[in-house]
Amino acid sequence: MTVKPGDPVSPLTPASDASKSHTTRTRVPPPETPEAVQTRFRVIAAFWAVIIFLGFPIWWQTTSIYRAHLPIQEMVDWADGKTCRPVYPLEIHVAAPLLQSPESQHLLRTTQHTLDDLNEFAAHHLRLKLTNDTSDSAARVVEDSTSTLRNTAGETPDVVLTVRVLPEEGLATPRSELLAHTTQLDVFYPPSQIPSPSTSNPPLSVFIAQELQRLYGEEKATIAHILSGESAGLDSTSPQLTESISRRLRRSMKYAETYHLSFSLFTPGSVPSSWDIEAAVQEYLSPLLDAFEPISNFTIDTQVQLYATFSPMTPAPIYDETEAAWTLKKEDLSAFINAAEWPLNPSIGNGPTLNFILYVPDPSQSPMVVKENRASSWIVPQWGGVFLLNPPLEKDQSNPAHLSQDSLQSAFMTFSHQLLTLLGTPSTPASLPLRLQTLIRVRAATLLLSASSTMGSLARLTESLPSIPIPANVASSVSTTLSHLSATCSHLRDGRFNAALASARVAENEAERSFFEKTMVGQVYFPDEHKVAVYLPLLGPIGVPLIVGLMKEVKRLLAEWKAKRAAA
Amino acid sequence: MTALFLCSLLLALAVTPWSSTAFASPDYHEQLFLQPLPQSSLLASFNFRSNTSQQSFDNQHFRYFPRALGQILQHAHTKELHLRFTTGRWDAESWGSRPWRGSKEGGTGVELWAWIDAPGDEEAFAKWITLTQSLSGLFCASLNFVDSTRTTRPVVSFEPAGNHQGADGLHLLHGTLPGEVVCTENLTPFLKLLPCKGKAGISTLFDGHKLFDAAWQSMSVDVQPICTAEGECTVQIEQTVDMVLDIERSKRPRANPIPRPLPNDQLACDTSKPYNSEDTCYPLERITDNAWSLSEVFGRNLDGVCPLTGSDGTSEQSVCLRVPHEKQVFITQEASEIKKDDGFTRCFSLSPSQAFDISVPEQTVTTPVPIEEPILNAERTIVGHGQERGGMRIIFGNPSNTTAVDFILFESLPWFLRPYIHTLQATITGQDGIRREIPTKDLVSSTYYRPAIDRERGTQLELALSVPAASTVTLTYDFEKAILRYTEYPPDANRGFNVAPAVIRILNTPDSAPFYIRSTSLLLPLPTPDFSMPYNVIILTSTVIALAFGTVFNILVRRVVSVDEATALVAQTVKGRLLGKLIALRDRIRPKQTKVE
Repeated sequence: MTVKPGDPVSPLTPASDASKSHTTRTRVPPPETPEAVQTRFRVIAAFWAVIIFLGFPIWWQTTSIYRAHLPIQEMVDWADGKTCRPVYPLEIHVAAPLLQSPESQHLLRTTQHTLDDLNEFAAHHLRLKLTNDTSDSAARVVEDSTSTLRNTAGETPDVVLTVRVLPEEGLATPRSELLAHTTQLDVFYPPSQIPSPSTSNPPLSVFIAQELQRLYGEEKATIAHILSGESAGLDSTSPQLTESISRRLRRSMKYAETYHLSFSLFTPGSVPSSWDIEAAVQEYLSPLLDAFEPISNFTIDTQVQLYATFSPMTPAPIYDETEAAWTLKKEDLSAFINAAEWPLNPSIGNGPTLNFILYVPDPSQSPMVVKENRASSWIVPQWGGVFLLNPPLEKDQSNPAHLSQDSLQSAFMTFSHQLLTLLGTPSTPASLPLRLQTLIRVRAATLLLSASSTMGSLARLTESLPSIPIPANVASSVSTTLSHLSATCSHLRDGRFNAALASARVAENEAERSFFEKTMVGQVYFPDEHKVAVYLPLLGPIGVPLIVGLMKEVKRLLAEWKAKRAAA
Repeated sequence: MTALFLCSLLLALAVTPWSSTAFASPDYHEQLFLQPLPQSSLLASFNFRSNTSQQSFDNQHFRYFPRALGQILQHAHTKELHLRFTTGRWDAESWGSRPWRGSKEGGTGVELWAWIDAPGDEEAFAKWITLTQSLSGLFCASLNFVDSTRTTRPVVSFEPAGNHQGADGLHLLHGTLPGEVVCTENLTPFLKLLPCKGKAGISTLFDGHKLFDAAWQSMSVDVQPICTAEGECTVQIEQTVDMVLDIERSKRPRANPIPRPLPNDQLACDTSKPYNSEDTCYPLERITDNAWSLSEVFGRNLDGVCPLTGSDGTSEQSVCLRVPHEKQVFITQEASEIKKDDGFTRCFSLSPSQAFDISVPEQTVTTPVPIEEPILNAERTIVGHGQERGGMRIIFGNPSNTTAVDFILFESLPWFLRPYIHTLQATITGQDGIRREIPTKDLVSSTYYRPAIDRERGTQLELALSVPAASTVTLTYDFEKAILRYTEYPPDANRGFNVAPAVIRILNTPDSAPFYIRSTSLLLPLPTPDFSMPYNVIILTSTVIALAFGTVFNILVRRVVSVDEATALVAQTVKGRLLGKLIALRDRIRPKQTKVE
């Protein structure tokens, strides 16, 4: 606009000057009118305005992926264990019906003191509490063993154990007795050893403390092992105990709300073709499964499979003269199950299947045992168990056609044992309710850890793959998981372990659901080459003149601006 | 006659002796029925049946009932299941009526129908999808492709075979996969469902090489509840395998399967022909039947009996052969032969531990086994030409001179075949051989029609028809071929699209037992695009748009000058300036060189 007619165009180079001087006949066209320049500027600006304000937003809208907001930092914190440090305060009631109040108070105090001295794992500690209702304690406790397991919504901590302190004549030292079907420990002491309030460390307190410590030793080691990961948990744990705990954890199934138990009778011939399975399950297994009800549910199915031969890869059993039996080598047991031919497909429905195989060998190979230890059963870790049943042969050297309930007894006793192991139940103490309580605490810990680590994995996944969509239900699942995780943590802190397990179950379910959300994996995948192939034929020919036009305009404006400044 | 007899025999066996024991305990039966057919063929019909009480089925205590299948049925709330795997074509003209009256066979490929217990249609469909997915895994078949477009709900074509007392929420769903190739991977799981697993009894004869080499074969699985009048129920699973083997083809050794011409001196020539000479032969038709034996035809021996079969007399005779009594049949020594008094059937009692073989030597027959004429002949073809339209033609022939045939024609057509039902026309050819067009309402007594919805469901057409005695009826209707979306074409799009066989249920059978005929499946060629098309389209449209845009943009932005002005302006462009600089550079180098010189 500042260019005046007649003036030479400012960006003329010396070269053009030279050419001009060489060819005198060519003439430079008259400079453009400001209106023409203005029009061209407007045209280019209009095109770019359409691209920037219409084309770009539409492209952005149609190709963007929905990513719901996830609390990434919170999820990572859970995975790193920063948010929650699980603690296990176990409340133990002490009933001393025949002791005076100050004496019992003193006993309680000194025992608690000794216990705290013995304890080296701060996350798991025992809290003693004196109870007054002593009259009906025995009856109540038996009832409690089931009812406390069901107490999930209560505000008070679960009572894990009741210790009854009773005098008994004719005793030199205190002795204890754990009732096998209850959560009650009876401690008998000689009446001469009634702790007087003056003694600081009465032998009775020391005894009770040691008993309790022994009772919860394995549980403590297990929880320490789980919380600390693969590294050894506690210093004081013996290597054997550590080994057995890690072995049990390796063998046991992942926690599930429902387990499918599948009992199969396999035999290489045509007999036995029937068994008293319904009665056997009812008699030998149902009580155990009922006791497990607060932790998991079970479905049972059974089948009879005849003509089940070993796979050709399996080494054949060898006859052992000294044992008078056909023997399988220990290292060959892993090939015992003919996975290709035996119909052991998992049951339909949610939850894992535990397979229990009752194998009746052919009469020509009976009896069959494991070579090394003459055992007749073994566990297949995280899968199930096998039992070799060698029934007495009939007169014509054949297997019996029918297996009665009695002949199944040993097999089902073994199966219930294997079931307990596969579900991760600890081997001590002797009382089943106590072991189940321990299992609840152990499961709550594993679920808490696994849900937390799933959250961490999900956070890392969404961070590392910016192209995957995150639907809204994943975000809601994540928030449910996080709220249930913190609920689990607070339930644990308050000693309500059943409630903790219930929340941890929900957290684990939701965590798995969010992680395995199907829509997060794109149904249609466009590789970058594909996008280039689709976009380039259009954007190339259109983009080049647009960009060149823009550059020219920008250059002209810059030159104008420079000229204006020079003029000024 | 044959098949009718076969069916009535098996029906009789099923009803009379077994029903007394069927409800006492879970039991198992198996039977093999052999019958030489014309043209050197052999029909082998295997039947396996086991029962379990409803109670142990519900409690998942499986003994003879396969656990995998039982759990699938329970999970999908399926009360009755019928699954068919079929290959080949039953040649009704030479082989006569179908085995089991057609009730144990399906259309080519896989066919599945089931009664599902569900409160509503949607729930039933969800269960149906569960069922097809699970069965797909169990039988290694593509049943998971039975989606809503391949599922129909027939109204009058099927009746439940079991007793469903007090179950009013039953939904019948039917699905077909006409393109499925049935092969050994389907036979292996089928055998695993049997209690004796192909290791003992008649199932030892199954060899995938022979079974799927047959001219026609059909495998079926039927599960249905059977209840007594007292309300005691059992769940019955019945598995059948029917096949028609070509005896000569089956007898070829596996190591040397290529057929070779006979040596000249073994040829039976018609010497009465004038051109008969050393090197010219008009072969005579055989007057004797082929010699065959079980081990030759099946390539295996029959290993004893499955010891689970009941101990009553009838079920021990698990192998039956239908040839005239005068014919010589050799069997293994330990087995015994029982001739039935109908003059044609003989059954064999097998020894439990010994292998069993039947050998029929080559011999001339005077009284051939009568072949029963089929009740109805049906043939369905696609007619017309072009990519856009076509027509369907179905021909029904009633061979009987006395009775008319009432039947239901069930067609389930894919959605991309859009029939025009108003074009339905019928012509009839009577005994006089004159072709007449008649109004369809004279033939069709009732119609059930559910039109297709694109990409959601297919057409379902059920017609109740009647064909008068000794006449042939031709039904035709036109259809339009849809154009599919790019991603909807299968990899082998140019092969054509399978159209499921039509199912024909004959109503007026003598004893009201079900009688089914299935037509062959059809191949429908659809307009198929070139599959690099989308990229071509993208590039072409992009080029057109870019051209148009470039022109418009240039007209708007360019400055118009005269030619000689343009040359001056060129010097100002980047190109001109670069050229100028190059010239200047050359000028600068050249004087230097001259200086050095």
